[in-house]
Amino acid sequence: MRALYFPVLVLGFVLLQFTALNFIAINGVKPDLVLILVILNGFFLGTREGAFWGFIGGILQDLIGGGYFGLYALTGMAAGYLGGLAEGRLYRESRLIGAGLVGACTFGAQLLFYLLLLLLNVRVSLLHALTGVIGPVSVYNALVALICYGLFYRLRRSGLLGDGYF
Amino acid sequence: MSITVTVPLLFSIAETPAPEEGDRYVSGLSTGKKLLLLGLLLVVVVTALRYSVGGMGRFSPLASSLRDILSPIQRGMMIAGRELGDFIATPGRLIGLTKRYQQLEEQNSQLESQLLQFKEISEENSRLKGMLDFSTNMASQMTTKAAAVTGRDYGNWLGTITINKGAAQGINSNMAVITPAGLVGRVTRVSKNTAEVLLITDSRSGVGSMVQETRAPGIVEGVSGGKGSLVVVNIPPDLTPSPGDRVITSGLDGSIFPKGIPIGTVRNVRKDEAGLFKMADVEPYVDFNRLEEVLVVTSLTLKTP
Repeated sequence: MRALYFPVLVLGFVLLQFTALNFIAINGVKPDLVLILVILNGFFLGTREGAFWGFIGGILQDLIGGGYFGLYALTGMAAGYLGGLAEGRLYRESRLIGAGLVGACTFGAQLLFYLLLLLLNVRVSLLHALTGVIGPVSVYNALVALICYGLFYRLRRSGLLGDGYF
Repeated sequence: MSITVTVPLLFSIAETPAPEEGDRYVSGLSTGKKLLLLGLLLVVVVTALRYSVGGMGRFSPLASSLRDILSPIQRGMMIAGRELGDFIATPGRLIGLTKRYQQLEEQNSQLESQLLQFKEISEENSRLKGMLDFSTNMASQMTTKAAAVTGRDYGNWLGTITINKGAAQGINSNMAVITPAGLVGRVTRVSKNTAEVLLITDSRSGVGSMVQETRAPGIVEGVSGGKGSLVVVNIPPDLTPSPGDRVITSGLDGSIFPKGIPIGTVRNVRKDEAGLFKMADVEPYVDFNRLEEVLVVTSLTLKTP
């Protein structure tokens, strides 16, 4: 089941990222919906499924975006893994915890993205990276997760987002 | 169905799975083999990542087709997003409307008086130009093609936009992209019906420029994609610009940008890290967060005096 809904959700979110979300960007920064989905998936499914679906989501982004191939796959995998580390350790019923987790994992994934950009000789000053992108995106993602967490949680519990594996 | 069982195993390195989850992944593979598989996967992805840097000058066939297919959908979503964004922002705008109205009235009266002065200067300028028989009208020297922005870079790090004109409409790589306000960037990759434009705000972008007032040369670089910030680097210290000075393209030999296209105004000046040159923060004329239509410079006929 997840093999069906996940790519469709990722595709929809990627299209939103490319287009409509630019109009709710604050100071040039917009939330990363796929990253939020991947982290929450990890939170509910554990490290390996989180990392796996993060990798799949990232590969889809890389394919559609046509940029540096593998950049989103690696960060998605890391984000899913980080989200999965909280599985069984943190209380799932609280949206505050969910939002905090999304913020923290986004910070980690974006930091990895920054390091990968350095590897590709794309230079961004560390100060600007932290204060202009990583920090704001983490906060923005946490806010979006705070709003959407309840819906995600209910859909997961009701089985609409699929409990089966593939 | 083999992939459904084996692929997730790559992510189960050196960790004891939760009992209810782990039972679904029963396998004969040892931890060492799983680590090896994960290592192989990482090597493949990192190699693909490094390889893709060399292929940044063109789209892969798959990415090219996907872009062409998704372009109309993206255009629709872009319009819907803009309308929705305006709708959401309306209450916020109304709050400061009265104050803003007063400010605008004051500004209007100031501008009217300035306009009279500028008309005088403009007439004088026209006369002098006529005497010199020297045309500096950029628009008359360029052939441009209008295109709508159908998408922006997915993330917050890189500054690229997608436009709805491509190779079929005569767009090629390395064409300059402008708006009436100023320089936007250059075309980097084209598919049949779309093109990718690297904004000057992207940290991978560099534009030969000069400060109009002091004629100081420099290179305009982006800070990061999402932010609409620019810096001019390598400014000779003896030609230090002042805040408020205009930065334009220098159009030196080999540059793909025509000379004289406005880029922005100097906000502040400081020494660069090495201390040999000056660098300046620049406020661009173009609002990169609200780009909707752009002009692609398809040909340039330079008229020299």
